[in-house]
Amino acid sequence: MKRKRVALAIAVLALGAVALPWSRTPAPRAQPVRQGVDVYINITGGGSKKLNIAIPEFTVTAGTDSGGVAKLLASVAGADLTFSGLFSVVAGTGSIPPNNPEALRQSWSEFATAGAHAGLHGLLALRGERLETEMRLYDLTSPDHRLIATRKFETSAAQGRRLAHKVADEVVLQFTGEAGIADTKLAYVQGPAGAKEIWMADYDGANPAAVTRNGSINLMPVWSPDARSLALTSFMQGYPDLYRLFPFERRPVQTLAAFVGINSSPSWSPDGRHLAVTLSKDGNPEIYLLTIATGTLRRLTRHAGIDTEPVWSPTGQQIAFVSDRNGSPHIFMMDTEGAGVKEITSGGFHTQPRWSPKGDTIVYTQRQGTHDLWAVNPDGSNPRRLTAGPGNNQGATWAPNARHLAFQSSRLGGWRIFAMTLDGSEPTQITLGPGEHTSPSWSPRLP
Amino acid sequence: MVTRGLHVTVMSLLIFGVALAGCAKRPATTQAAPAPTPPGPAARVEPPGAPPAVTPGPGPAALAAPGAPAAPGAPGAPGAPGRPPAAAAARPLPREFAAVPDLKDIFFDFDKYDIRPGDAKILDANATWLKANANHLVLIEGHCDERGTNEYNLALGERRAKSTMNYLVSQGVQANRITIISYGEERPQCAEKNEGCWSKNRRAHFLVKPR
Repeated sequence: MKRKRVALAIAVLALGAVALPWSRTPAPRAQPVRQGVDVYINITGGGSKKLNIAIPEFTVTAGTDSGGVAKLLASVAGADLTFSGLFSVVAGTGSIPPNNPEALRQSWSEFATAGAHAGLHGLLALRGERLETEMRLYDLTSPDHRLIATRKFETSAAQGRRLAHKVADEVVLQFTGEAGIADTKLAYVQGPAGAKEIWMADYDGANPAAVTRNGSINLMPVWSPDARSLALTSFMQGYPDLYRLFPFERRPVQTLAAFVGINSSPSWSPDGRHLAVTLSKDGNPEIYLLTIATGTLRRLTRHAGIDTEPVWSPTGQQIAFVSDRNGSPHIFMMDTEGAGVKEITSGGFHTQPRWSPKGDTIVYTQRQGTHDLWAVNPDGSNPRRLTAGPGNNQGATWAPNARHLAFQSSRLGGWRIFAMTLDGSEPTQITLGPGEHTSPSWSPRLP
Repeated sequence: MVTRGLHVTVMSLLIFGVALAGCAKRPATTQAAPAPTPPGPAARVEPPGAPPAVTPGPGPAALAAPGAPAAPGAPGAPGAPGRPPAAAAARPLPREFAAVPDLKDIFFDFDKYDIRPGDAKILDANATWLKANANHLVLIEGHCDERGTNEYNLALGERRAKSTMNYLVSQGVQANRITIISYGEERPQCAEKNEGCWSKNRRAHFLVKPR
């Protein structure tokens, strides 16, 4: 009898999942179900739509944790889940001793009383240069604190934070059907005008490191779909040329295009085989398709005005771009043959189109005194403002979940990278430290 | 408030429902069993590691200073695997050019690349100097102010340099003496955030070198 009621409750839940305002992914196994079933799992406490999750310090099962990794991993995973916008981390203290079911039960009971709906328990083994963790996710609303999922990860000791990111992404996957975005990187430009280098950091700004150090001007890094390489514009050979570099490998930089004039604004095709780029080799900034393996070029635009900033739709069927052919720069659309050109914004100064990974939204920058982020549907309908200062807010890049955006903002004075959700949540500062931080590119989920 | 409480309850429950679906979908790595089962193979978290760029000593070609000897596959190296035939006609290195007092900058209106009448007179004088000094090549830099965005301004600076070049050619300067480069908004000569400063940055700048 009890089992049957649980099944009913779960079915009800699955049906409702699609209605959650923050859940863009329909439940993978959503089933139609009868209405009016009694709610069996009685989750109370907390008046928010967020799920309350308890994350005690990870439990060390092997090795000596002299560096406080167990505490760090719980803290980082908690920050990741908070950033996701889907969870509230329930405060709690202490760690749970290993191999002690009674202590675990006691701890979960206390967290449940404090309002937690779920509990995340990590087991950590420190083995010299290796770290191993096993995450265990519990439903604290069930009387027996049912185990929902377990999964193991391992990494080098130097990449400890990645373990926490992987755990957090798995938790998001378990509750939404789509993995989180914590195990990703942000590439960006750092430095004052005239001395800009490419840098890279974890998605939360941790572990910033230089990717280029060529002393010239390096601009507009863009991650490849496999998250292994960056396309960029660099003056390293004197002129604005297009290159590809491999930040995780000791591999030479590859020249993509070095024609007379500008070589800029790369956008990867979804399959990673082509780049849409801006070249002025034929006398005027125009958009071309470059096939990477062969170097073959196909010209897409032919207009006396500026055509630049191409960006592929996630289906690979269309390309949005910027053109000043009607006066001020606006966002346009065309197919991959350069046909079907259509203007989708008007009446302003619009640049930096960025197509959502899910295809339903294009974010762009509008200049109106200062710069702010706007969004529009790909058919040009429903233009809407995403930011309203302070300072300038521009250069958006989508997280792979299509819910978060990173961008450059001068709201605190100098340029820093911030992130927010598409619904306009309060932006979070991502990058710290000296220098100007601009042109972020959010990587796909790392392999 | 009963209604609201129930609403919250249902929402939370929904999350768990999805969770279960997620479990069922990925049997290889997750278990929905009521107790921990023996662990499966761990998912390895491998690269990316620390980027090599911060490693001291010889590194990837990306780290080389401009003018350093090119490694195989480095920019400009011939025969690199997969390297597209991207190189065009030889381009003189911008750093070989130097300014001369006789060639004056011209300036542009915001988001414009047409030559203003007053600036045409400056270009006439520049053309006269260039024709009198035919042994010099000229590099025209196109610049923008910081407003607008980097990508667009790179194209805008290119158009400013090109408009300037076209005007000089129309005044009898040989096109094959002229090279253009856009720096977009990347090399402002004035750093303040006001129109007086911006107007100085929206410019075409001239540099020469002997043939």
